[in-house]
Amino acid sequence: MAEPCSPVSATVPHNPISIPTPEGSTLEMDPMEYTLRKRLPRKLPKRRNDVYINMKTDFKAQLARCQKLLDAHREICIHGLGLAINRAINIALQLQTSSQGALQLSANTSTVELIDDLDPEDPDEAGEPLTRTRNNSAIHIKVFYPS
Amino acid sequence: MNKFGKIRRDFISHPPPEPEFRFIAFTMTGAKDRMRQKKMKNQPRNVTYGSTVGRSVERGQGSQASGWVRGHQAGGQGYSRHLPKYITASHFANARAAEVNGMLKAVSKPAGSCHVFNALPKHMRRRAMSHNTKRLPSRLREGAHKLMERSQQTEKEKKQLPKRRSRRARRRHGNLLLEFNRRQRKNKWLETHIWHAKRFHMLKRWSYSLPHKPTAKTFRSSYRAMNTHALLQDLSYFCCLELQGSEELILRALVRLTSKDTGPTFGAELFLSGSRQGSIHLYRADQFPHGSLGPADFLWRPRAPHTSHRQLWIWIHPALKAEVVSELQLVCQCFEVLSTSEEICSVEETLVGQKRKRDDEDCINAPSKKLLGDCTRAAGTPVRWGSADTAITISDLTMEIVRYRLIGPLAHMVLTDTLQPANEDKETVEPSGFWWPNHSKDQTNMRLHQQQTDTFQLLRGVCSTGEIPAGCVLGLTVDDPRLSLPQRRSKTVPDLQPSADECRVRDLTLRGVVAHCSESALWDASVRHGVTHNQMPQQELNRMRSEALVPGSRLAAPPQSRVPVLLVHQPGRVRGEERRHWGSGWDLLLPKGWGMAFWIPLVYRGVRVGGLHMSVKHSQFKGQPHFPHDYPDCPAGTLFQSEQEAELIEKFKRRPPSKRTNYIKHGCLAPFCCPWQQLTEEWEELMKLNEGTSSICRTRPPEYTVLRSLRVLRQLSVWCRPSRSRRATHPPLTPEVAAALQGEWGRSLMWVRLRLLSKGQPALHAMVCVPTVSDLQLLLKDGRSSGPLEPLHKDHVKNMLKCKHKASHASKGSISAPHTNASEALPIGLIRGVWPQPLPSVLSHCSRLTLGWVQKGDFSLATGCGEALAYISASGLLHTLLQQPQEQRGIVLLRNPSSLQYRYAQIVVDI
Repeated sequence: MAEPCSPVSATVPHNPISIPTPEGSTLEMDPMEYTLRKRLPRKLPKRRNDVYINMKTDFKAQLARCQKLLDAHREICIHGLGLAINRAINIALQLQTSSQGALQLSANTSTVELIDDLDPEDPDEAGEPLTRTRNNSAIHIKVFYPS
Repeated sequence: MNKFGKIRRDFISHPPPEPEFRFIAFTMTGAKDRMRQKKMKNQPRNVTYGSTVGRSVERGQGSQASGWVRGHQAGGQGYSRHLPKYITASHFANARAAEVNGMLKAVSKPAGSCHVFNALPKHMRRRAMSHNTKRLPSRLREGAHKLMERSQQTEKEKKQLPKRRSRRARRRHGNLLLEFNRRQRKNKWLETHIWHAKRFHMLKRWSYSLPHKPTAKTFRSSYRAMNTHALLQDLSYFCCLELQGSEELILRALVRLTSKDTGPTFGAELFLSGSRQGSIHLYRADQFPHGSLGPADFLWRPRAPHTSHRQLWIWIHPALKAEVVSELQLVCQCFEVLSTSEEICSVEETLVGQKRKRDDEDCINAPSKKLLGDCTRAAGTPVRWGSADTAITISDLTMEIVRYRLIGPLAHMVLTDTLQPANEDKETVEPSGFWWPNHSKDQTNMRLHQQQTDTFQLLRGVCSTGEIPAGCVLGLTVDDPRLSLPQRRSKTVPDLQPSADECRVRDLTLRGVVAHCSESALWDASVRHGVTHNQMPQQELNRMRSEALVPGSRLAAPPQSRVPVLLVHQPGRVRGEERRHWGSGWDLLLPKGWGMAFWIPLVYRGVRVGGLHMSVKHSQFKGQPHFPHDYPDCPAGTLFQSEQEAELIEKFKRRPPSKRTNYIKHGCLAPFCCPWQQLTEEWEELMKLNEGTSSICRTRPPEYTVLRSLRVLRQLSVWCRPSRSRRATHPPLTPEVAAALQGEWGRSLMWVRLRLLSKGQPALHAMVCVPTVSDLQLLLKDGRSSGPLEPLHKDHVKNMLKCKHKASHASKGSISAPHTNASEALPIGLIRGVWPQPLPSVLSHCSRLTLGWVQKGDFSLATGCGEALAYISASGLLHTLLQQPQEQRGIVLLRNPSSLQYRYAQIVVDI
């Protein structure tokens, strides 16, 4: 699973419904009053030939895993989210090089919606806990043997 | 007979001298003693001390005047001085005749039960030999034959004892139930007890009989189930306390038990609406941060329109029930007993009223009904308290509600597979006694039910349990899950098709369940009662199943099989940044009596079942303290630790002395029980010395506490990280800030997670130590360095023991031994290899200062390296952090009790 590693940027438009702001109309949050908790990205249905790339597992191990999957399947799907996009591309290209051109790639990009929880420090005074969404890019590379 | 009597009298009137007895008692320990007793059980008693008697017989000089004078006489006088001058022949012959008789008896009676087989070497023994003597070698056949005959005789003799009923009679339903009821008088059974008892090692804890570990090897598979599928646990032993009254008064009372510092309390708006379950740490009234009681989960019933009357459930561990109940009574002023358990039980009996006629007269007065709920408590135990001035009532709902926990990312899929929301009855013809037809007549109820059903169906579209907001509550009315039981056990698989309602699923994961959907009829005591007692019996269900046209198809739901349930989301790992939402799941709350009806269908969906051991591991992987293991400041936790100490010492003593770890040599002061109080006191003293303001007249230091204030923990968490990830917004750690914190929280412990940097597998009660400057430099030089070594300590206690041994030897010879002082100075109960009780300074006993001890440590399957959870002294941590360079903040050393090797570890404070 890819981790949402990119820092929360203030430019992401907030969902206006889910944020009843504590101090009037300003959207800026005081970091001492809220704790930011990022939720895990939404898990997608996983087939046997899906590989989700992350930044924690060793690169070589993930490459080996893909290589092994390619022995059993005609095609595999490599997914990368956020910071892991680079690595996903890297792995796909490595696979292609090591197969001496037998493999073909087809890449798609998408946007994944991520959810952050903002827990108020003093929960009894602030009303609802805040939840906001932000977007992150993702890549899905299909690696396959052309028939 | 009277001869024996005489001789025995002789024995009594002249007890044998001390030293020999002591010798016997000293040499025969435990198992040996038992074996000897078993061997000698058929022997006449006066020959038992065979060796000594034999010696006196050999001498042939039993004097009548002084009785049996044997053994070494004090004063070093020889035997010859006491030789009698004359012997009366008749007395002497009588005594000898008695002895001969005794010996003859001893020879004729078999010693032990199977002396014939003992004569055979082990590899020649066969099991069938005891039935068929012809399988024995012929020289032993005769003896075995006799033995067999004798055993048959004894069986005849046994018949005078009350006959044990035949197995068939014992297994008859009514008798079996009676037997079960008798067996759960002391330790209550869960509803799934029999299912568990067939598959698990059961433990008797907190007056319950609870499953501990499966008899099969399932640790890894259970872990995998938690990680990728679902693990099921029966948590019905948790106690539920219900508070009813006006919201304002309840909140005003309960605020005394909690503190806002530790997180959201009962009054947080989120929880007050009833749509989320909260968890909290309870303290004695107005005593925060002292007087800690333990953790609790709580759930408000959603607000009913036009009333301020609220209902609140507080779920607590049975170990802290008594204390919490008394504290609640105190803060709510509820001392007036409204009802007792006897009344409730009697009501149930009349309602059930199905006493079966049986032929045994002795059992008629005890009805053989299945016990439901907490019926085994003593009659007259109060279960409901109220008060006139606050109008709050507290009721004890122990075992009234069954609680199952599903842990794992597919828990919601298992639930959606198992539970079928009830459909409305269109043809409600006659008003029946069942709750659902009446309930479903009301349009508002039906609308609510429809919304709840929709929300429940949406869960199928969610991919992992962790995506749902923490602590969501969903009320539901479902059909009896036995109606749709699959024919064989299969495994729930995730839905690969993307659901149609993508938008609504997104809304659910973003905002959780709407507040009014959390309402359930389970809150209603009368509905619960009705549902419990109108359950369709299994027999009826089987009949329906046999009549079904297509085998395995879903059966039609009769009106009584609608059950109100509550689904409560469990957040899993909420603190820290690694493995978020790991171990999240759903709790399923059911009315009592329905336990097995839901258990089997859940198990048929391919979940693993875990016991207490898995609960401990679950909280360990989550990085959370587990109650009561890791709450040293709570009464229940202290009790647990003293029990654990006794158990560990017992285990230690069971090893042969030469194979035991010598903890003194390893420099480990507390291998069995951690002296927290001493640790915190010593750290505080050290800090005072450093400051140079050591006050001479100190008042009696208060008890240590556990630091649970989120604000302080958050600061410490930032400081523990190496500097590169430190944010600028937080105040940097300076001696002034540290001193301020020190003053407030100096005498407290902190719950931290320790991640080992390279090798090492931490064990229970491993020491957390402060690294020296050279240690840190060693780590800088080589990141994979295995760590420094502790020099071997000297075991001075061994010498003391030796002295004692010598002294005791010497005192035999001469009373005026010079060593008596040394041996008296030794405390009683000295164990070789363990420090005697007044411990020396725990802080500076080893070459590195001790910060604290590990509570749980193991190789973590989740992270792939050694991981430990420990309590450390807060002032010790501040002191350590101040000494360390910026880029090596939070590095400590970890050393197992039975090892001299220190390992590097990184402190992580999860908040």
